[in-house]
Amino acid sequence: MEEKKTFRFYECFALTTLTGRRAANIVEFVEILKSASPEAIFHHMHQYFLKPHAVMPEFPNDFAVWVSESLSEPLLAEALANINPFEFSNIEDLRSEILRIIENYLRSYPPPRPVLPGREFMFNEGITIVIPTDIEAAQIHDFVQKLKTVDYSSIYFHFYESRLRLGRPTDDFSEFLATSLDSPGVAAKIKSLDPYMYSTEVLRDKIVKLVEEAL
Amino acid sequence: MNLRDYEGIAEPGDLRAIEHMAARLVGKKMLHVNSTAAGGGVAELLARMVPLFQGLGLDVRWEVMQADRPFFEVTKNIHNSLQGQGAPLTKEMWEIYRAVNIENAERIDLDADFTVIHDPQPAMFIDYRKRGLWIWRCHIDISTPVQMTWHFLKDIVKKYEASVFSVANFAQSLPITQFLMQPTIDPLAEKNVQIEDDEVRAIYERLGVPMDKPILLQVSRFDPFKDPIGVIEAYRLAKKYHDCRLVLAGGTATDDPEGEKVLAEVQEKCGNDPDIHILLLPPFSDREVNALQRGATIVLQKSTREGFGLVVAEALWKKKPVIAGDVGGIPLQVIEGVTGYLVHSVEGTAYRIRQLLENPELARHMGEAGREHIRRNFITTKNIRNYLGFWTALEKKEKVIYV
Repeated sequence: MEEKKTFRFYECFALTTLTGRRAANIVEFVEILKSASPEAIFHHMHQYFLKPHAVMPEFPNDFAVWVSESLSEPLLAEALANINPFEFSNIEDLRSEILRIIENYLRSYPPPRPVLPGREFMFNEGITIVIPTDIEAAQIHDFVQKLKTVDYSSIYFHFYESRLRLGRPTDDFSEFLATSLDSPGVAAKIKSLDPYMYSTEVLRDKIVKLVEEAL
Repeated sequence: MNLRDYEGIAEPGDLRAIEHMAARLVGKKMLHVNSTAAGGGVAELLARMVPLFQGLGLDVRWEVMQADRPFFEVTKNIHNSLQGQGAPLTKEMWEIYRAVNIENAERIDLDADFTVIHDPQPAMFIDYRKRGLWIWRCHIDISTPVQMTWHFLKDIVKKYEASVFSVANFAQSLPITQFLMQPTIDPLAEKNVQIEDDEVRAIYERLGVPMDKPILLQVSRFDPFKDPIGVIEAYRLAKKYHDCRLVLAGGTATDDPEGEKVLAEVQEKCGNDPDIHILLLPPFSDREVNALQRGATIVLQKSTREGFGLVVAEALWKKKPVIAGDVGGIPLQVIEGVTGYLVHSVEGTAYRIRQLLENPELARHMGEAGREHIRRNFITTKNIRNYLGFWTALEKKEKVIYV
């Protein structure tokens, strides 16, 4: 029981692995996407949230960024950017949605030109290494102080990755605040934050602000 | 030098991850093998990383191949050929490659838990593996190789557990795990460590470059792919609007006939312009390069072909906006309009120079963003973390690994 009342922060980082598959135009891209591994689709739709950003990319997934920057198709890029990967309970549904958007686009517009050499889309995958830290908190004041100091990857692990780990749209922070610290109000506010709209750094500030307001 | 020297620079989470992963590897044997002890990026990288691994309690060795000139001529051919230049190698060349690899593999103690072989030169050591995990770290772009050369090497490389490439586009399709890991700079090394303005001024004075006008700098070998002629043309176009100096700093190139030819062309192109300074720096001029970068107003790297181009990261680390060719690993470092500009022509380079000279506040913002971008993504501790991550991932063979 005592253990449950202590929140232990985990941090993580991703190793990128290359599949060797590359697309130089939208037709090749669609063909590879149809048979790409679920891990590759997950990687390209989520790595934005785990990578350190000194400079925020225009869109939060790799497909939209490539279509915008390398294919120069803003309309399609915007449609892809609007996909919220956290709304999908499995990767196959997510794959189908990406394909549906691209195929709809190609029915309405001529296919874009191939990309310049060196700008091909490289299909990659990721391996996540999770590190338990010694950073723990048992009280809400302590929790918010520690939250300010942990690595941004800890926010990813407890807020984004938790959705996959727990299999439901929730996060470790709101679970802890609601069940162990008896703070259901702030927990509900954190749970209702849209994970897709924030980088981990911004999300940290939001959560800290919500908890401090509740104190 | 130890890991905690990077506190305040590296991400604290990276330091914690490194210490946590290393704790379960204490006493285990790690071996790095490359072909030269000094000179070149790989030796520079290993010289900084090996003591850090040792400080973490790992039993680390760095071994260097012993070979003579014919071997290095062959491996230079292999190197060029893997980058799509030159003729296929002859049977005699491969025999030299094989013989020197066998000789060295028998001489060096290859007993280790985790072995990292750098580049093609010692790749054949894998045939002498005693035990443990082996990875092949490829530092060069092999995306468009001469096929015969690649087929030969591929048969060797596929015996490893994994390979590591610097840029996704540099890789080839392989039946083994392929990791992506960008090279990094060491912020505490002589080339990047903080130095005071007085020393910067003194070094400029010693090198004969007055600091009375904005300074444009390109640090690179005198190599056609670095386009020094294009840099001079861009400087001339920009100078019509802004009085400035151009510094081209490179090696002496005495052992490189092609470099001498390019240098002669550059000297001719400069004519008698007193505001262009060609500096032939001797090897181990890291402090001078550091000072030149710190004293520059804008750093250029107008490459038309490039490997990773770490000289860009060095300049960004020193808060300099960088105008650079849109090739190789440069776009990972220069984020268009944020840390600098990517250019494709002499005119584009000149335009961006004028834009930044006209707007020092923009240049300052870009410099700040550049340093932070490098700090977060391209410093030594990232490589230390990732090597330990590769080791862990190859042992555990899972997609999500709790260490």
